[in-house]
Amino acid sequence: MLSRVADSLYWMSRNIERAENNARVLSVQLIHMLEASDQQVLDRDWEEVLEICASTVDYHNQYDRLDTNTIIQYLTMSPMNVNSLMNGMTYARENAKATRDMLPDELWEVLNEFHLDQKEWMEQLSTTPQTQQYLKKVITTSMTAQGVIESSMSRGIPYTFIKVGKWLERAEKTARVLNVICEKNRKEAVHGTNNYYYWLTALQFLNGYDSYIKEHPPTMESKHVLSFLIKEGSFPRSIRYCMDHVLEAVQHLEQGKISHYSEDLFTMLEKVQEEISDTSIADMDMEQLMKFLDHFQDRCMTVSRMFSETYYLVEPVSVN
Amino acid sequence: MLDNYKTGVFYDEMMGNNGTPKHHYRWFYQLVKQFSEQELKEKHETAQLNFLRQGITFTVYNHTGGTERTMPFDFVPIIIPKERWEEIEKGMKQRITALNHFLEDIYHDQEIVKAGVIPQELIENNPYYYKEQVGGVHIPLNNHVFLAGIDLIRDENGDYRVLEDNLRNPSGMSYVFQNRYVMRQVYPELFFQHSIQTLEQQLSELHHAVISHVPPNADPNQAPTAVLLTPGMYNSAYYDHVFLAQQMGIELVEGRDLIVKEDVVYMKTIRGLKRVDIIYRRIDDDFLDPEAFRPDSALGVPGLLRAYKEGNVSILNGIGNGVADDKAMYVYVPDMIRFYLDEEPIIPNVETYFLSDPEKLDYVLKHIDELVIKNVGASGGYDMLIGPQSTEEEQEMFKQKIMEQPNQYIAQPTIKLSRAPAYQEGRFYPCHVDLRVFVMNGEHTHVLPGGLSRVALKEGSLVVNSSQGGGGKDTWILSEGGEGHA
Repeated sequence: MLSRVADSLYWMSRNIERAENNARVLSVQLIHMLEASDQQVLDRDWEEVLEICASTVDYHNQYDRLDTNTIIQYLTMSPMNVNSLMNGMTYARENAKATRDMLPDELWEVLNEFHLDQKEWMEQLSTTPQTQQYLKKVITTSMTAQGVIESSMSRGIPYTFIKVGKWLERAEKTARVLNVICEKNRKEAVHGTNNYYYWLTALQFLNGYDSYIKEHPPTMESKHVLSFLIKEGSFPRSIRYCMDHVLEAVQHLEQGKISHYSEDLFTMLEKVQEEISDTSIADMDMEQLMKFLDHFQDRCMTVSRMFSETYYLVEPVSVN
Repeated sequence: MLDNYKTGVFYDEMMGNNGTPKHHYRWFYQLVKQFSEQELKEKHETAQLNFLRQGITFTVYNHTGGTERTMPFDFVPIIIPKERWEEIEKGMKQRITALNHFLEDIYHDQEIVKAGVIPQELIENNPYYYKEQVGGVHIPLNNHVFLAGIDLIRDENGDYRVLEDNLRNPSGMSYVFQNRYVMRQVYPELFFQHSIQTLEQQLSELHHAVISHVPPNADPNQAPTAVLLTPGMYNSAYYDHVFLAQQMGIELVEGRDLIVKEDVVYMKTIRGLKRVDIIYRRIDDDFLDPEAFRPDSALGVPGLLRAYKEGNVSILNGIGNGVADDKAMYVYVPDMIRFYLDEEPIIPNVETYFLSDPEKLDYVLKHIDELVIKNVGASGGYDMLIGPQSTEEEQEMFKQKIMEQPNQYIAQPTIKLSRAPAYQEGRFYPCHVDLRVFVMNGEHTHVLPGGLSRVALKEGSLVVNSSQGGGGKDTWILSEGGEGHA
């Protein structure tokens, strides 16, 4: 397969996954904000959402204050925010358009349909229920896209690139969410607040509440939640699950063989796997956890870079 | 449904002068009559939406950037009886064979010039004659035209004539398939009483034609690797490229995916470089290789021409075909048929005047309001004057242009292009149509049954190009002798 095409498939998949994850976070926040006790709490919550879905620094470079409607606009439709839902879905469609000959027609149609309806949405998004509907549309579009991929694509190279993109994006997002929530816990540990609510939010952001509660009825211990979202091998958004699958996918691409060009990538993926399994969540305090999560996010970037280099997805930078 | 339909002075594909349908449209007419007005409207909308949802679009560029548009689809098909089609088919094969001989000849011995049939300067001065780049090069099968799109029209007597040869990058074949697909989806009833030549197998014919052009230095022990080279997703015909690559099962590549090393072309894959043997390119000659043509081309591949000349890669259509399909050379195609094949043209040209001839020039300037003036180098309906439909100002402007550069223009009588009913906005009205016939050429010559019927949907308009408001119709070749059967 052409490197350019592989690159587009990888980014198509990451963009769809990112849009879905961000839409879910925003959707949860739109409900939580109704319960925010005061402006300070509300502002803090929005800062966190911005940090998870985009970049707080970028936002503040463009706007001088936290305003709910501005933030919603920024995260959904803003052309200025590279991670806005609209941009993500547009990039995904462009990537799909550039690789149409590799994709099931239905996948293209799902993304194209979203694009065709986009104009109408842009004119409508003025109330919270409308925004919620839009978020739901983003989520179902992503899920339909995944459904098409799973039900009709051969388990060949294009499929594998799509999946690697999805898992890396997911793993990184999970780490990001946890990092933000850990930070909040650390800051407020001194006040001895009830953390129940924070961990509930983390689970909701990552669509893990239902699965979690079945295993740990109805407690919300930070250690349990963290272990679940980091190390639970059966939950499809846990860091471990995602990284295990990235490794498996690369093994599949290489048909189980390790060649000189793929050696670095394999070594790194195995190292990441070890780091996850050697970490004892229960024995760590918030600070250590945040360090672990920061380190893992760096690892994600390294893996992404190595993956691109191994398959020539990125043009090597010329020396002269 | 067609109660107020007037055929006028034009030849109508479907309706006779007496208000009844022609014989081969009888069944179609009966079937359509059974639709209610509501049904017609709904089906029409469903069909248009179908194209949009599938993203079967072309991109139109203007000052605000590009917009993706669908080509409007009209459901009234152009139906051609079998015997009529067989004659067209023969005519197309004849024409392509002659044009191919011509291209091989003028890049080698120029017999046709030596024989005094075509003036030397007409070839030498042609901007698309790339003698310096590809003169004397031997190419697989000696075949320059792997895919041609020949535009046919019918005059007021219903006789077919060739309007234009497209031997460079004819587009629109995907629409032939999509028109048929949508037609079957939305109007299945119409197919019940008709036996129509199918389009299946056509893309494997095309694929076969592509891979028959094996370059001399290809590895004989391996199946050749063919790719389709596209300028990219912002090109107006991108959908065509996607469709053809996908259906033929060949890789769709852009210039940046290819690299030439030691005169061999490779594509950049996730496993490193892979050798490419055959390139079906949809990039114009000028942009193919910045080393040999326009140095500013970012679409092309440096060194491609060297690889071509070395016999390491085949390029389809051949480089330098533009010299054979411009509007001046068009006039000589009947002579080419006589010269190379010793036959009379089966499908004639439209009468054409060269303006370099002072006598003709004088005539044209006096009768400009009756004639069609075309720039020999332009296509897509640009830089063209349709005399009877133009203002005096426009006519003056063209007179000026002609007098400045008489060699740049040709004139043709305004042909009363045939018409067919179109159903748009809830009513049937007559629109001018033409037919692009696709001819594939590899080890043998094959004509795709039917082709792309293009329709000028603006009432009274003669321009069928999709960039200027034209639409498409399905084209049915009846497989039984002109008769629908139950």
